[in-house]
Amino acid sequence: MGVLWLFSLRWKLPPGFDGRGETSLRQWLELEVAHPAFGFYGQLIESVVLPNFTIFAWLVFLAELTAGISLLFGAFTRVGAALGLAMAVNLGIGLLEVPGEWPWSYAMMALLHGLILLSNPGRIWGLDGLRTE
Amino acid sequence: MTTSIESDNQSGSVAVAILRITLGVIILATWWDNLDGGLYQGENFKGLLDWLGKSVADGGNGGSLGWFHSLLDSVVAPNAGLVGGVQLVIELAFGLGLLLGLFTRLSSILAIGFFVSLFLAYFGGEEWIWTYVLLAAATLTVFLGYGGRKFGIDQALQGKKSPFGLLW
Repeated sequence: MGVLWLFSLRWKLPPGFDGRGETSLRQWLELEVAHPAFGFYGQLIESVVLPNFTIFAWLVFLAELTAGISLLFGAFTRVGAALGLAMAVNLGIGLLEVPGEWPWSYAMMALLHGLILLSNPGRIWGLDGLRTE
Repeated sequence: MTTSIESDNQSGSVAVAILRITLGVIILATWWDNLDGGLYQGENFKGLLDWLGKSVADGGNGGSLGWFHSLLDSVVAPNAGLVGGVQLVIELAFGLGLLLGLFTRLSSILAIGFFVSLFLAYFGGEEWIWTYVLLAAATLTVFLGYGGRKFGIDQALQGKKSPFGLLW
């Protein structure tokens, strides 16, 4: 999961947050507005997130970077898992109706983060193990 | 110190059981969609194989692992009817196995093989390839966590000898 989050950063890097040849973060947000599964969510993206894109893009970048490093190195793993779980649920809600998206991917992401949250695997092959010895 | 997955191995973990049941639902829901769409029938199955290997410019998915697509073209495509039928049965079997927690470790191995083959087939194309990584990782977790031993039929088989520990 750590590799997944870090790998996904490549198309939302600051300061431009452009897609570097792939669909950019802004384009994904616009797709969420165009194909909302829940009206309130589409309105929230349209009226709050997109007008303040740079702030939210930084928040997304930092959240994914934090979750990725935490899960990859097993450091404060439960924090990384909680962050990843929240982002997976957010992605699932936002992308549910976007054409070409397979919602089960986000269900699986959320469940795996939930499992990490419950089992705290950072204690094995992770830096959390150093704190619990 | 052990993780809860390790310490629960003998009796199974609730979290892993939830993961197993969700995987079973995903596999069976997709299986039903595919069956309904006629995907397992020879011509349609062959059409999918063609689409997987074609470039995006030619209207395909643009998979980039040439050796794997050569294998699909030379071995699977000429026998698409047979392979489609076998896949229909095996996919149903490991989907039910995971849902019900029956022969969970064997079902997990079959499902991992299936997801790895999908990963190889879709790699480099338009699909979000991490989907197959997530599915394979989740199924591996079920295998390692003895996912059928909680809320599953394997719970009843737990005391009996599983050949090489690979069935339940």
